[in-house]
Amino acid sequence: MSHVVLDRITKRYAGHTALNGVSVSVEQGEMLALLGPSGCGKTTLLRCIAGLTGFDGGRLTIGGADMAGVPVRKRPIGMVFQSYALFPNLTVRGNVAFPLTVRKRPKEEVRARVDEMLDLVGLDHLGDRLPNQLSGGQQQRVALARALSPRPEVLLLDEPLSALDAQVRHRLRDEVRRIQHQVGITTVFVTHDQAEALAISDRVAVMNAGDIEQCGPPAEIYTAPSTRFAAGFVGNRNTLELDAVDGRVTAGGAFDVEAPAPRVLCMFRPEDVELAKDGPGARAVVDVTVFLGATTRVYAQAGPSVIFADLPSRAAAGLSPGDEVRLRVAADHVQVFPA
Amino acid sequence: MTSHITESVAAPPAARRRVPGKLFTAWGPALPLLLFTLATLVLPALRLLHDTFALPDGSYGFDHIVKVAGNPVDRQAIGGSLALGLTQATLATALGAPAAWLITRMRLGGRAFWLSLMNVASNFAGIGLAFGFVALIGSTGMLTLVLKGLFGIEDNPFPSLGSFKGMNVVYLYFNIPMFVLLTLPALSVLKDDWQEAAAVCHATRWQFWRYVGLPVLSPFVIAGWLLVFTWTIGVYAVAYAIGSSPSATKLITLQIGTTLESSVFGLGRAAVLSVLLMILAIGATLLYRLSLRRAARWL
Amino acid sequence: MRRRVFLGLLAVYFGLPLLAALLYSVATRWTDTPLPDGYTLAHWTGVFAKPDVMAALGRSLVLSAVVVVIEIVLVVPAAYWSVVHNPRIGSIVQTISVIPFAIPWVVVGAGLQLVTKSVAPELFGTFWLLAAATAAIAFPFMYRAVESSLLAAGAVRLSEAAATCGAGPAATLIRVILPAIRGGVVSGALLVIATAMNEFALAKILTGVSYETLPLWSARQFVSRTLGDPNALAVVTIFTFGLLFALSALVVWLGRGRVSASMATAPVQKGITP
Repeated sequence: MSHVVLDRITKRYAGHTALNGVSVSVEQGEMLALLGPSGCGKTTLLRCIAGLTGFDGGRLTIGGADMAGVPVRKRPIGMVFQSYALFPNLTVRGNVAFPLTVRKRPKEEVRARVDEMLDLVGLDHLGDRLPNQLSGGQQQRVALARALSPRPEVLLLDEPLSALDAQVRHRLRDEVRRIQHQVGITTVFVTHDQAEALAISDRVAVMNAGDIEQCGPPAEIYTAPSTRFAAGFVGNRNTLELDAVDGRVTAGGAFDVEAPAPRVLCMFRPEDVELAKDGPGARAVVDVTVFLGATTRVYAQAGPSVIFADLPSRAAAGLSPGDEVRLRVAADHVQVFPA
Repeated sequence: MTSHITESVAAPPAARRRVPGKLFTAWGPALPLLLFTLATLVLPALRLLHDTFALPDGSYGFDHIVKVAGNPVDRQAIGGSLALGLTQATLATALGAPAAWLITRMRLGGRAFWLSLMNVASNFAGIGLAFGFVALIGSTGMLTLVLKGLFGIEDNPFPSLGSFKGMNVVYLYFNIPMFVLLTLPALSVLKDDWQEAAAVCHATRWQFWRYVGLPVLSPFVIAGWLLVFTWTIGVYAVAYAIGSSPSATKLITLQIGTTLESSVFGLGRAAVLSVLLMILAIGATLLYRLSLRRAARWL
Repeated sequence: MRRRVFLGLLAVYFGLPLLAALLYSVATRWTDTPLPDGYTLAHWTGVFAKPDVMAALGRSLVLSAVVVVIEIVLVVPAAYWSVVHNPRIGSIVQTISVIPFAIPWVVVGAGLQLVTKSVAPELFGTFWLLAAATAAIAFPFMYRAVESSLLAAGAVRLSEAAATCGAGPAATLIRVILPAIRGGVVSGALLVIATAMNEFALAKILTGVSYETLPLWSARQFVSRTLGDPNALAVVTIFTFGLLFALSALVVWLGRGRVSASMATAPVQKGITP
């Protein structure tokens, strides 16, 4: 029995449908990412789980209990808001203790638990600071500690890292995963950053315009996107719009795949492009190379299209603008969708 | 942060004394304003202080103060102004705070309407406001006549404008908008996020207000209270219009006015009352600024 | 539900006196019926033919214009110098601004009366004293508007650029800075005009009958109701209100997108004549 079950959740606003009969379940201890562009409904779905937004159709259960009619205040959840929403007049300790204070827990228990939480997130030395004296990363950790202190069943994170700058974000991203694993709590988090979703979650639900297009482990989403949107949104892909000939598409000899429609979109990742000086494949001319450290991105003009390929830098060392090369992509590395 | 295009202002004092031109360069264009305000604002304030203690024979003493303290009319005026100030501050806060809170929760259209209404009300002040109230609840006022015509109530049930109650009704007309316009930006500081976060933490609405809402907002509300108090004790135009009859509540500002108009001697009285008002006003203003600084401490 | 009732009552409270004054200004006869017997625009057309009203209005307008000029001449150079060269000017100005903010204007008037009578008695009761006093209490509005305008326009950078082009301070101020802060100067001027048009305490104490401005005229009608002209007073009331409202709306419109706390309270302070 899954820990959190969303069954055909529908939410309509005047004029448009935010959630279109969305169904997904989260297992105990699992970290599920809701990934999608802004407006896709991921935050709405999260808020439905929290009870901050009501929904018009469907059913939500947490731990087997139907949450219909249960107010936010009574749900077994902890939540980290995008803006952290730390109470400005309470210290770090005060903020983390707040969920316990309002449940009227005895002082000793509260103090011990706060110590435990601050230790967990690595802020034990900042207990007496006020939120406006903390950096963004520190505030986020306080928010996390506050969410976890009442031992909720489910942890909800609303774009927890989007307000931070890149360096801090990477560090904290791994921190969040470490803490989630250590505590073993069922977690749902919302993000528009696919790298983040793929890096730390057990499963990713790719959302678009109120629907979940695909839900699966990160590797599956990355290598085998099942819809055109998922293919375009996750991972950086070359996209070619081509006409089928006799039910097949061969992009000038680069690959040979079956075509489900007369006009199709072929998508493949840059690291799957094989470049050689000669041999089989489509003819292309190197346009520019971008050195990225371990890999080099090579832009090549093949007919009317510009293809980019990621090669190990050693292999790309010999290529310069103007060189003629041959492009190939293995058939099972190409995703084909009707155009 | 500022760029010093001309010679450096941070020249050592010795250098400045030797080169007065540099001093002029640093302050020159501002001198007209500074001297003007010195003469028109600072000097009169000092003069009032001086005249409070200066006696006709050239010496200094507390005679004027004693005289004012002993004068029943002045005592009533001081009491009246203080009572009016305290009452107005409290009423404007009691009515203005919930109004401001409700307005912050409104969506754009409703909010714009209320902001313009508050703006309208704050523009309708002075003698005109007094006239409006006379036309409304005076002896032949609109509402008075409505009550007479529709319900047969012969005697005017509304308080006379010069009475304490009447003054409170009139003063609220500009004090509530002032309070609302002042605290509105402050109230929007209380983000929705906090309430939602509190709910997720299992706090009731009351608990939210007790632990977060009120502590964060109270300095702003106190600042508003102080502002209304300061303003009320200093109002003159409206007071002149409704407070000039002998049965009206006595106020300090009106007493100052009558003293200045009627007699050349007895100006010591005007000075004493003026200085009293100054002390009250400056004291309240300092507390007001202190409150605002406290409010910003967490945000 | 309680909220709607509360807000509804408040809206009614704010609307009624205005409505009563408005009706009075267009009523033919209105003594013992809830609503006027009849309506007419005669009062409105007639009022502006009355010599004492027009004279008072004229005096108020002249006063406003003169005060605005005084403010611009005094404030703009000072604010400019404060922002670009010597910020200590700004802090001194802020301290002095406490006086018209905190101290009732009637007290300022009292002090001025005492000072003028002993130092320059011939000045007392003159237009220029009133103009000076009004300029004194209104200057914070102009200063704040000009200062924020200077900051928003990046006056420091502009002056640097002008200096590299070889311009002296006066040329910089007139040809570079003033055009850039036009909006702030206009906003400040509007607030000053509103203050001067509606200012009562100083006018009463410093000049009284010798220079009867519009508010003084209104007060005269109000206090001597038997000899006064209530219909004309109603018209003048609504007219003044309309003028002040238009001025404050203009200020808000000019400053749209740049609302600061001081701008939010300035209309309030301006509208309330202590």
